[in-house]
Amino acid sequence: MTRILTVDDSRAVRMIVTKQIRDLGFDVEEAEDGLLGLAQMEETKFDLVVLDVTMPNLDGPGMLTQLRERGDQTPVLMLTSESKRSIVAGLMKLGISDYILKPFKPDELRAKILKALKQEPAAAAGAATAEEEAPDPTPAAQSVVSGGSNRSDAAAAKPFFDLLVIDDMENVQKRLRQLLPEHLTLAGAINGQTAMTLCRERIFRVILIDSDMPDVNTASLVKSIRLLQPSAALALLSLRTTNNVLGEARELGLDTVLFKPFTSEGVEEFLSKYFDNQELVVKEDDLIRVAAFKGREDRIPGYFLRVSALAAKTLDEIAAACFAEAIVDLSRLPAQSAKPAALVIELGEHARKVGIEIRIVGSPEVIQLLRQYSDTAGMTVFPTVEQARGAGAAA
Amino acid sequence: MSAAGAPAHDQTRLADQLEAIVMKKIANDQLVIPALPSVAARCLSLLKSPDFSIREVSNILESDPMLAAKLLKLANSAAFGGRNSVTSITNAVTRVGAQHLKNLLIEGSARKLFESGDRHIAEANGKLWTHSVAVAVVARDLTAICGGGEPDAAYLSGLLHDVGKPVVAAMLLDVERAMQDMRKRTNWINGDEWIEVIQRTHRKIAVSLAEKWQLPDTVMRTIRDCEEYDNADRLSASNIVRFSNALVKQEGIYVGAVAKDDNDALVMIGKSLLGLDDDAVKRGAAGLAAVRKQHP
Repeated sequence: MTRILTVDDSRAVRMIVTKQIRDLGFDVEEAEDGLLGLAQMEETKFDLVVLDVTMPNLDGPGMLTQLRERGDQTPVLMLTSESKRSIVAGLMKLGISDYILKPFKPDELRAKILKALKQEPAAAAGAATAEEEAPDPTPAAQSVVSGGSNRSDAAAAKPFFDLLVIDDMENVQKRLRQLLPEHLTLAGAINGQTAMTLCRERIFRVILIDSDMPDVNTASLVKSIRLLQPSAALALLSLRTTNNVLGEARELGLDTVLFKPFTSEGVEEFLSKYFDNQELVVKEDDLIRVAAFKGREDRIPGYFLRVSALAAKTLDEIAAACFAEAIVDLSRLPAQSAKPAALVIELGEHARKVGIEIRIVGSPEVIQLLRQYSDTAGMTVFPTVEQARGAGAAA
Repeated sequence: MSAAGAPAHDQTRLADQLEAIVMKKIANDQLVIPALPSVAARCLSLLKSPDFSIREVSNILESDPMLAAKLLKLANSAAFGGRNSVTSITNAVTRVGAQHLKNLLIEGSARKLFESGDRHIAEANGKLWTHSVAVAVVARDLTAICGGGEPDAAYLSGLLHDVGKPVVAAMLLDVERAMQDMRKRTNWINGDEWIEVIQRTHRKIAVSLAEKWQLPDTVMRTIRDCEEYDNADRLSASNIVRFSNALVKQEGIYVGAVAKDDNDALVMIGKSLLGLDDDAVKRGAAGLAAVRKQHP
């Protein structure tokens, strides 16, 4: 079991530190000053010392000096309100592993403890879980993983959003919301400052930035956002002009452009670049509902491809949940060309492969269309979900 | 400034004399602090009023073709979403706004301080300017990351944090010439000693200059409170510039000797003070690659 000593004359600080260390799944002991700390270190072997600077009897630097003089190289993490560079430089010479300035955030303490112990956050979390589950914990937390990172687990805890719209006109955000599939999350900022705050607090997949906001240097804003959201796709919101807007966007370091005023086709095309998982297929227990197609006609083949892949994946889930049958509601499918028939055949084959039966629901147009193809002509297609379910119950 | 020549003890003595002369000038208020260039001064004075006359500011700017060209370039840059090209100064002022115009004027005026007709000084000042730009870029980006205020204000503070150094350099050149004439010497202190004298004296001169130029409070505080971090205002521009300065020194973009232990301590303290983990520091310092490219 990894054992940590916290040395601080403040009982409140020791309590906070102790709680954080225990939350990480490590053992912890406390000392009120340097003398008591040294005494405890003679009795017990510690893996890390969390040490204050200013304390009665023997202060942190004094304790650290004596520790090193007796050849003890236990890693030491300073936790102090002392920020004078000469003092910290002296402590660094004595070989401290890291430094935390009070008041501190628990995230920072946990991250630096793990870094000093050269453990990944996940390893420690695993250790804690193992302890919770087993009364006699294995020394999982003792396993030393090389190349420890200083990744703050606060970053991982940030809420995720699909889109951020930065535009001084509030209506832009409202209008875009109307055109977005419901499952996509959207946040809005009407100025640069709010946008920066949101970018510090959340993680976004796509960020749309207006090209013409009053008193905002778009290039500076883009640079700042890039720093905070290195993984997000950034796009320029711009009016349609004869200028080379895409060129301007690229010059600013943006990936693409979404033109205003929005059109449903434009938004859909834009989203298709970043969001493959639009809710084209929704599962409710053993029912698969396929959403209607929206957009330009030339995008219909792409729609069928996505529906086919998503519906097959959903059939897998239904089979995995031990349903013997699935109802596939294709009533909103566009009744065009041979694609609906091809989709029905593909899904039928996939269902057989995973060992379930499917019942198809279709609109009169879809039913009519399926009758035109020899492979689907003899198939029973139900006009409503209720009828399909009823047929299943009767069988 | 000569690279070599006089024996070491002579050089040390000269450096001490030089420092004493500079300090005496400071103490006796005999410093000749460069004035803010006239066009910048007049514009900045007008820009203090929220209802400034764009036409009046434009008329003054038009009298400085270099400055006018810089303003037009800025206004037509992608940064300001310049869909339609701006060709008049009046439109350029309208497009960039008062705050960016102020920053342009201050930055341009400060840049002039780092110019010199003397080859050695010009070279040394060039390196000082590169260091200042590096600190400015890192301070701006770290401000964005940790949310310490306006990134542009941090940029300006970083750019001007060493603004006293070229002033001392110019002053030293004058003193050097006077002493050489007097003593008919051909040798002078070496480059390292020269930088040392500047490092020991530049802060007070920078404060005087900041007061004379009426630089923004953020810049003033950054120049004045340079020794230790201010724990009471953790994300202040001064703290961010101080941390950026230490980081840039660690990266070797600096002129003169660096007290490594002190500097490493500043970096370690700063990371905790500003709440930055290794990844955030790496992202904040990423702009240094471009600075190195532009100022090899």
